[in-house]
Amino acid sequence: MVVRQYQQELEYLEKTSPYCWRIKKGFQPNMNVEGVFYVNSTLEKLMLDELRNACRPGMIGGFLPGVKQIANVAALPGIVGKSVGLPDVHSGYGFAIGNMAAFDVNNPESIVSPGGVGFDINCGVRLLRTNLFEQDVLPVKEQLAQSLFDHIPVGVGSKGIIPMNAKDLEEALEMGMDWSLREGYIWAEDKEHCEEYGRMLNADPSKVSMRAKKRGLPQLGTLGAGNHYAEIQVVDEIYDKWAACKMGIEEKGQVCVMIHSGSRGFGHQVATDALVQMEKAMKRDNIETNDRQLACARINSVEGQDYLKSMAAAANFAWVNRSSMTFLSRQAFAKQFRMAPDDLDMHVIYDVSHNIAKVEEHIVDGKPKTLLVHRKGSTRAFPPHHPLIPVDYQLTGQPVLIGGTMGTCSYVLTGTEHGMLETFGSTCHGAGRALSRAKSRRNLDYTDVLRKLEYMGISIRVASPKLVMEEAPESYKNVTDVVNTCHAAGISKKCIKLRPIAVIKG
Amino acid sequence: MAEEFTKEELTLPPCKYEYLDHTADVQLHAWGDSLKEAFEQCGIAMFGYMTELDTVEIKHCSEIEANGHDIESLLFHFLDELLFLFSCEPFLICSKLTITEFKAEGEEMRIKCKCYGEEFTLGKHPQGTEVKAITYSAMQIVNKPEQSRADVFVIIDI
Repeated sequence: MVVRQYQQELEYLEKTSPYCWRIKKGFQPNMNVEGVFYVNSTLEKLMLDELRNACRPGMIGGFLPGVKQIANVAALPGIVGKSVGLPDVHSGYGFAIGNMAAFDVNNPESIVSPGGVGFDINCGVRLLRTNLFEQDVLPVKEQLAQSLFDHIPVGVGSKGIIPMNAKDLEEALEMGMDWSLREGYIWAEDKEHCEEYGRMLNADPSKVSMRAKKRGLPQLGTLGAGNHYAEIQVVDEIYDKWAACKMGIEEKGQVCVMIHSGSRGFGHQVATDALVQMEKAMKRDNIETNDRQLACARINSVEGQDYLKSMAAAANFAWVNRSSMTFLSRQAFAKQFRMAPDDLDMHVIYDVSHNIAKVEEHIVDGKPKTLLVHRKGSTRAFPPHHPLIPVDYQLTGQPVLIGGTMGTCSYVLTGTEHGMLETFGSTCHGAGRALSRAKSRRNLDYTDVLRKLEYMGISIRVASPKLVMEEAPESYKNVTDVVNTCHAAGISKKCIKLRPIAVIKG
Repeated sequence: MAEEFTKEELTLPPCKYEYLDHTADVQLHAWGDSLKEAFEQCGIAMFGYMTELDTVEIKHCSEIEANGHDIESLLFHFLDELLFLFSCEPFLICSKLTITEFKAEGEEMRIKCKCYGEEFTLGKHPQGTEVKAITYSAMQIVNKPEQSRADVFVIIDI
């Protein structure tokens, strides 16, 4: 890392609009392209504070600020366009969280980096609608929250209840949601409303280590811990009535279920294994990066291809995982209301992944190019008429699901043409942390947080009490700031605001 | 799993670790009179983030082996093995680690470790935070044998 004073660092940053900053070349060594990040005045302060802290003399045991990480990614071989920081950006492993970067597949130097996907491969959000309204749910809210908590295994050490053996797992890894469909856990139309139709075709379970499979098997169909959750939400605001209508959302007060989870220990192990492999590949191919954490391999090398195939298997795992929890949520609602999930109209509105790398076609400098797009803490947001979005959303643009945090709102946005040009069709993914976990534990009180949630009318079921402080709304950036910045910058458009009434967490 | 343990094996070591600030994750800081002890403490620190260790009884012992090509990768693989022990059969949560072989020099480094604990059981063990992965991020290993002091810093992804 280049050591400079904070004031000198600022010379490399330029505010180009009220919502957008440019990171000039030279901010970090060897930058191939410029960086850019989207923030409003509130988020800008958090971003620059992180940088200022890192510039303090005598910093030890510290970590790179997000803005430096965006610039380090801009120095990776084969990157095109810009290294993009979304409004919820914060420091992560190698890549910042809330960072997207695209690499030219036809450039032999181009790389793929597991750090650009993250440990939780295909962590994502799924939204189910119902035909219930808030007044239908309020009288039974506690029972329903408890029932969801009883149905969905949550927290560290919990095991899945969907029966699985090693052979089932192999098939699920290869088939993704086609497996869930074959086994009768989902409806055929669920697949339609899912990125990649819930199955990455290049998945190859034979490239996945035994270790990852062993970790994955007991955890399939579990929510996990940390920021993962299942929430019962109600529609609080509709910004785009027409688009909301296309998603089956008619009025304020309509009840939805949001599931935020990923590929569990399976994906974590796939990422860990790949990082070890890639360290060797980097030495062999003389790939230089600014940071050891940016371990990567050429896209066309054996390590690069093996990673993409095993990452795809992990992505399939995550879709099967969210599908299993969709099944369990439908069961919980069906039992509570003594109605079939069908009659409750519990359709999947959409399912997005916010930790993934995908091969996509984009226009760069007026020419079509095939790119490997890394999105880490960033959601795909394709505009209307894009061929990869389902027919139901051809005219509205892809629904983008932005999960808030315990007790805060969540949003549904839609993709825009402007976002396609500026950020390769990518937008934010959630709130993004503002306080460290340890700081949250020290500064917040367990009972205060719970009382506040109760006051807001939110039922909560959480496996780990410590998590209540770590995941308190105060620990995160304000999701409304994040979403408004995306809307104002034009990289996606606000459609629906959802407010939680019950939260189930690890 | 009814195994016999000696009194020495059932005695827990003193706590020589702490959890430090990091935005998204947590940094483990463990120390000891020797590098070996700091490694053992670091492993316990990780388990301590998953549950309350005073609820863990010693009923079972598993042995693991980890290899590395440098000291950082040795620590990385050691912790990764421990995480693996927890994540699938035997789902072991440990309150005590005893490194029986510690070769931290040369090209091929190796650790053998006895891991004491029991199967993680919901209801008995409070659920703490899930550890997703071990990282090399800001990993620091400071060994000062002349002062009989070693410190390790590891960020775990949670």
